[in-house]
Amino acid sequence: MSVRYAVLGLISQKPRHGYETRVVFESLVGGDENWEVKPAQIYTTLDRLEEAGLVERSSDLGEGEEPSRRVFQVTPQGEEALQEWFASPVPSEHQRDEFFIKLIIGVACRQADPERLIQTQRVLLFQEMHAATNQREEYDPHTEMAQILLLDKAIMHLEADLRWLDMIEMRLEAIKEQPLPEPEIRRRGRPRKGEKGSTYPPPEKVVSPL
Amino acid sequence: MSIISAQNLTKIFGSGATAVTALDHVNLSVNPGEFVAIMGPSGCGKSTLLHLIGGLDRPSDGKVVIDGTSIAEMNDDRITELRRRKIGFVFQFFNLIPVLNAIENAALPITLDGVKPAEAQKKAAEWLTRFGLSSRLASRPDQLSGGEQQRVAIARALAAEPALILADEPTGNLDTRSGDEIAGLMRDVAKKYGRTVVMVTHDPRIAAYADRIVFLKDGKIVDETLLERNNDGGAAIVAQKIREIGD
Repeated sequence: MSVRYAVLGLISQKPRHGYETRVVFESLVGGDENWEVKPAQIYTTLDRLEEAGLVERSSDLGEGEEPSRRVFQVTPQGEEALQEWFASPVPSEHQRDEFFIKLIIGVACRQADPERLIQTQRVLLFQEMHAATNQREEYDPHTEMAQILLLDKAIMHLEADLRWLDMIEMRLEAIKEQPLPEPEIRRRGRPRKGEKGSTYPPPEKVVSPL
Repeated sequence: MSIISAQNLTKIFGSGATAVTALDHVNLSVNPGEFVAIMGPSGCGKSTLLHLIGGLDRPSDGKVVIDGTSIAEMNDDRITELRRRKIGFVFQFFNLIPVLNAIENAALPITLDGVKPAEAQKKAAEWLTRFGLSSRLASRPDQLSGGEQQRVAIARALAAEPALILADEPTGNLDTRSGDEIAGLMRDVAKKYGRTVVMVTHDPRIAAYADRIVFLKDGKIVDETLLERNNDGGAAIVAQKIREIGD
């Protein structure tokens, strides 16, 4: 979703062709090692934007541009779609968390020391945070602000995860006492023979004596 | 050889039924030039550990060896001398004298220690300049931001050219951005200026600047870990983090 609007936005900034859009996008996020967009994805995105009437091909080529290259420009509908995108907030990321599962399963099956699990996790998060902190210091705030902002976000998320671990540690006794939820298990699939709702055996035909 | 060696360090406050064991047989050694963060929940004994290392308090048992000299056998005068010459302290509250300007504040301890004022101020100005305060030398504390005041306090700690800096929650009174700057400065003090830095903090983002974290809980070291991973390098981790944001 964000690539689609990023492409639309870059084209609304000025008419661009696909390759250029891709290069600008990747430099915006600090290089293709951070967020790689394949050429095919850019062209598919451009085709879809065109089908939706949000961009159109422009004959207005820049100086020295090859006429064979497809240059796109934004349409009024495209501007409008972009405004809607800007007007709406981005929902927070999903909460699937492998560590959470590991901890709960570890406690439930008594195969893991939860304090050890927490500490192992904590050490890794600190190492990641250390690497991100070092990397951020190396970026130049005058030319690489995008990378700095992304790392700030990564660091703050790590910080939140570390604080969450502290919280779990404080509540560990309560967690240990709490049994795993045992929801009522409903059998899947068709009812078995003879069960309520089963159509087998088929009800005997009552032969009405004539 | 390690510059700090704490052996079986134990501190018990009070006695009898109300005795509280703040530190329980702690062993810790720190190498010269290392930047170590001590972390743990409040009341875990981290400040007590720092105070014992710095000779601000005496242990109930065990000993502290600083640069080859055990401070347990020293009398108070010699400990005071060690503190002045070898150890610089940085605290959460900057403890600057309101009527003195930055340079006078930073020069104060060595002036009191007998260094001639002109020479002391020259020394202070050098450190303040290294810390980016060359244009604020004549400013009084109330004319400086919190981060700048803490930089003056760190310059003051370094003016005596100590080998060891002990910092107790140096960012505890600062906003996030100034806190980051001070944590980066503490790292420079170790990496660029070759001092050994031991810092107590409860803030994970500040601890992440260090080379090593020592985790303290209920007066005991429960774990310690090096933060630099030499196998896969930081760049891969960083790229991974950014990618996760993108997904």
